[in-house]
Amino acid sequence: MAEFTLDCLGEACPVPLMKTEKKMADLKVGDVLVVSIDHSCAMKNVPEWARKQGHNVEIEEIADGEWEVVIEKTK
Amino acid sequence: MGQIHRPESSGGRNRAPRKPKKSQLPIALLVTILVVGFGFYLNQYNDKMVVYLLFGLSFGVILQRSRFCFTASLRDPCITGSTSVTRAVLIACSLATIGFTAIKYSAFAGGNPIPGMDNVGQISFALVIGAVLFGIGMVIAGGCASGTLMRVGEGFTMQMLSLVFFVIGSLWGAHDMGWWRTNVIKESPSVFLPDVFGWLGALLVQFLIILLLYMAAVKWQEKKMGSAE
Repeated sequence: MAEFTLDCLGEACPVPLMKTEKKMADLKVGDVLVVSIDHSCAMKNVPEWARKQGHNVEIEEIADGEWEVVIEKTK
Repeated sequence: MGQIHRPESSGGRNRAPRKPKKSQLPIALLVTILVVGFGFYLNQYNDKMVVYLLFGLSFGVILQRSRFCFTASLRDPCITGSTSVTRAVLIACSLATIGFTAIKYSAFAGGNPIPGMDNVGQISFALVIGAVLFGIGMVIAGGCASGTLMRVGEGFTMQMLSLVFFVIGSLWGAHDMGWWRTNVIKESPSVFLPDVFGWLGALLVQFLIILLLYMAAVKWQEKKMGSAE
């Protein structure tokens, strides 16, 4: 049940999504990945992708225009 | 395992302490007053300017709030297989088709010159090459024209740089377009669908194409992601 972080601040869309995709492949089931993003477009497609993959996703706005997407790997 | 990891319970160790959020209400009020003032200022020069301002602002707000992105509509099917934004753009295109047809047909039926005919461009290989270049550029820059403008407004620093080069590129393109029109693509045909199929036929052809693309988008996502949701 390890927790990993992925810093994608300042990265434009599609980069956060591609990094998340790669990172998720390394994680074990039950692990949690926290992705920090500040590009509004990634706010949509990262959670959307993760939910469609069947993972548990939570979004938190930690500051104005800065989000943390918390993804728990379920399979 | 199995239980959902709440961020509250898992956080704290290696998470940055949350900054208290400042209220943005004063800024919102100030900007609203400035916009209204700017509207009155523009109204002195031209009646239509305020309407343009209003449309521009509405467009920006809708674009930002809906996270609408033309780049994502063409990029996400390739990266993740998700076509939800693609389908949103297709619906937007069909709505725009109705609006454009209404404006153009009413001008045509009234015997007036049809507005916007300058924008019916020639179809040529230059268009294909240009479209591919634009596609590569918008994926690297992280947004097309409207997306870049919207994110500059949101304060995304990298795309302020995109905006500078977007302006330079647009000016260069506008400067040389005349040369391309007279020298390279002079013989290329420009097609205005109502001239070919008639007004009703053009509408039918357009909607048929959009419908086929929509169905293809649904099938694509079902194949890539297992569901069309």
